[in-house]
Amino acid sequence: METLAGLGYGFGIALQPMNLLWCFTGCVLGTLVGIMPGLGPAATIAMLMPVTFSMDPTGGIIMLAGIYYGAKYGGSTTSILLNIPGEASSVVSCLDGYQMARQGRAGAALGIAAIASFVAGTVGVVLLSLVAPPIARFALSFSSPEYFALMALGLALVVLFAGQSPLKAGLAMLVGLWFTSIGIDLFSAQERFTFGQTSLLNGIDFMIVAIGVFAVAEVLGSLQSRQHTQMLAVPRGLRNLLPSWAELKACRFAFVNGSITGFLIGVLPGAGASISSFIAYAFEKLFSRHPERFGHGAPEGLAAPEAANNADTSGALVPMLTLGLPGGGTTAILLSALVLWGLKPGPMLMQDSPNVFWGLVASMYIGNVMLLLLNLPLVPLFAQALRVPSYILFPAILGISVVGVFGVAQSLFHVGLLAGFGLLGYVMARLGFPGAPLILGFVLGDGMERALRQSLQMSGGELGILVSRPIAAGLLACAMLVLMMPLIGRFNRWRIKGIAENG
Amino acid sequence: MNRRNVLIGAAALSLLSGAGTADAQYTPTRPIDLVVHSGPGAGPDAFGRAFISAIEQEKLSPVRIQINHKIGGGGATAASYIVEKKGDPNTIGLFTSAWIANPLVQESAKATVKDMTPVVRLVIEPAVFAVKADSPYKSMMDIVDAAKKNPGTIKQSGGSPLARDAIVRHVLMSNTGARWSFISFPTGSERIAALLGGHVDMMIIEPSEAGELIRGGQMRALAQISDRRLSTFPDVPTLREAGFNVPNVPQARGFVAPPDTPREVIAFYEQLFEKVVKSPTWQKYLNDNQFEDAFLKSEATGKFFDEYANLMRGILTGAGIKVVR
Repeated sequence: METLAGLGYGFGIALQPMNLLWCFTGCVLGTLVGIMPGLGPAATIAMLMPVTFSMDPTGGIIMLAGIYYGAKYGGSTTSILLNIPGEASSVVSCLDGYQMARQGRAGAALGIAAIASFVAGTVGVVLLSLVAPPIARFALSFSSPEYFALMALGLALVVLFAGQSPLKAGLAMLVGLWFTSIGIDLFSAQERFTFGQTSLLNGIDFMIVAIGVFAVAEVLGSLQSRQHTQMLAVPRGLRNLLPSWAELKACRFAFVNGSITGFLIGVLPGAGASISSFIAYAFEKLFSRHPERFGHGAPEGLAAPEAANNADTSGALVPMLTLGLPGGGTTAILLSALVLWGLKPGPMLMQDSPNVFWGLVASMYIGNVMLLLLNLPLVPLFAQALRVPSYILFPAILGISVVGVFGVAQSLFHVGLLAGFGLLGYVMARLGFPGAPLILGFVLGDGMERALRQSLQMSGGELGILVSRPIAAGLLACAMLVLMMPLIGRFNRWRIKGIAENG
Repeated sequence: MNRRNVLIGAAALSLLSGAGTADAQYTPTRPIDLVVHSGPGAGPDAFGRAFISAIEQEKLSPVRIQINHKIGGGGATAASYIVEKKGDPNTIGLFTSAWIANPLVQESAKATVKDMTPVVRLVIEPAVFAVKADSPYKSMMDIVDAAKKNPGTIKQSGGSPLARDAIVRHVLMSNTGARWSFISFPTGSERIAALLGGHVDMMIIEPSEAGELIRGGQMRALAQISDRRLSTFPDVPTLREAGFNVPNVPQARGFVAPPDTPREVIAFYEQLFEKVVKSPTWQKYLNDNQFEDAFLKSEATGKFFDEYANLMRGILTGAGIKVVR
């Protein structure tokens, strides 16, 4: 009842004309920021913060949060159309989204991404309004051993990304693990694999690896096969630009899976949005009746990660609003905005400033509707962009990639790194090594190593800590199961063959 | 003589006069670049923006000041950039204690604050030792005694082994003979989450962050790392008051300029920043964030760099961390 009263009060605030306007402004800005690779929501919010000082804090947080979740809507656009992830959390959307575009289903893919974002955004904010305090307590029960087990489960899922050769997938993953260890080690403050380069002290940004291995490598690969002048086919007629009923039906489980997985992982302060989208994708493939379609343009392979990275935003707001603990870079900036307005984020925020808390939550319901209405009409427009002939499109992709990387790192050294990763991705594709395991290793490796070493520091070197805690033990058992899946499959085929021969 | 030559002549004359008199007033004519070593929103960036907004609200600077992010290496990237800007009067950098401490162990660091021209030190950040609200430990002594009784069972969450929380732990451990473990987390929220979840026993936390968690009944403060008690924690003893005779490990912030910056440029910045520091806008910011006003001019800031580096060298060597310079 208290929640309903709070929500009612919140809608009273969020529906005020000025706040509606701020919500809309935030959503539009967020969509734009999401579309442009390199310009992330964190940087945009930081730039806009001084403008919001003179605003009423409620309107301010409504707008800034709109940028945060709006960016997740736009982030998939370049992933689908150009194989360039617009945000770190949209990398997984490249896998099946870009394949759909290549098969002439770009409009459908964009539509599914928008709908998945809407469903998950709404589910996320419903969960945020209903279960924020208890779920925050659940998040606190997670510590290093649990994070290690969660990341181990994530890495185990690499067998699902393996394609034909598990060996090649494993090697690609190990390379990813190596790249992620570059930089200053948190525990010893010593440098690893920096080769005396100050530019490598902070490690390599995930976006550089992802854009290089996906977008640049794709352009290099396409240049080699000179025959087609137009990279992607775009069907004529509005009907062919929208997702079909069958495609939406195939995605219904993915919407739910992505929403819940994304929200739960988003709540954990030590796991980012890219992790939740990988895990949602893997779950989707694990329980799919047609796992072989994944990676070849399966609509549910796009819907699950897109849903996950949107539900993740609501999840990440849980510890921020209930405890004052931001779960990632963007929520950290939202938090510093609250502080600059003179509010006190922490466990008392909900009581001290109910207008801010409930106004924000209610505005997110409205914002998600606005974003859907804003993004759906853009679908045919963006899908048309692919009609551009390849002699314009390829240089444009390379240009956007370079600008994106320069935007993230602001150094030419990193643009050089991008070229390096592009070549690596190209060579890997030529030799039949899949790119996704490398990215997965890169995303999870850092956090996994950290969680392991933290666990061992906690236990004084005893490995038992990883299995003596119930959540960690459960997750590790799941990881073992996933690793054994291919073996079980092989055993089954062998058994069926045996039965067939005998019968 | 046409008009263009007159202009060039006038410009040359003004240049000559500027170079001729050593104590001439310097006033910048181009926007000033303020280099910070974090991304947007993180600590140094937020501090830099707050400082700039105080300057703008009080209308103190003749030119605009803009933030320039040189992210990476705990200040190493920003430091090399500033050293490359040798003699440039329009670039300054926002240093933190990390700029002094990190190069002591980073072999590949190409620049240190010793290569730069000190401008001013602005603030020292205090911190508090905190435990979870239902912790059995009521004082710092309780924790130290428990750690002595069962070495290795008490756990502290913190940041890098060069960060202030790790250094204070080393100072306390060598002063008391107690041993406890230190668990590194990259972000403040992970450190706090580990404490609130009961996975570690204590942490060192910024007073403004701790304030709300204490008011919300989640956390308790045991001691403060400060020379005198903070106004927001009147009942919490300082480390010395709690019975630990240890040196204060200051966490400082301030500004540096590139190498060979002329004296009159430094004088301009010193005067500008002194005005900012005295302004009500800045004083309010310091109070809101519980920063200690620790303004020092150029020369004294240079001395502070040396003293701090020496203090750190001693502590790091004692902690078994390899010091390379």
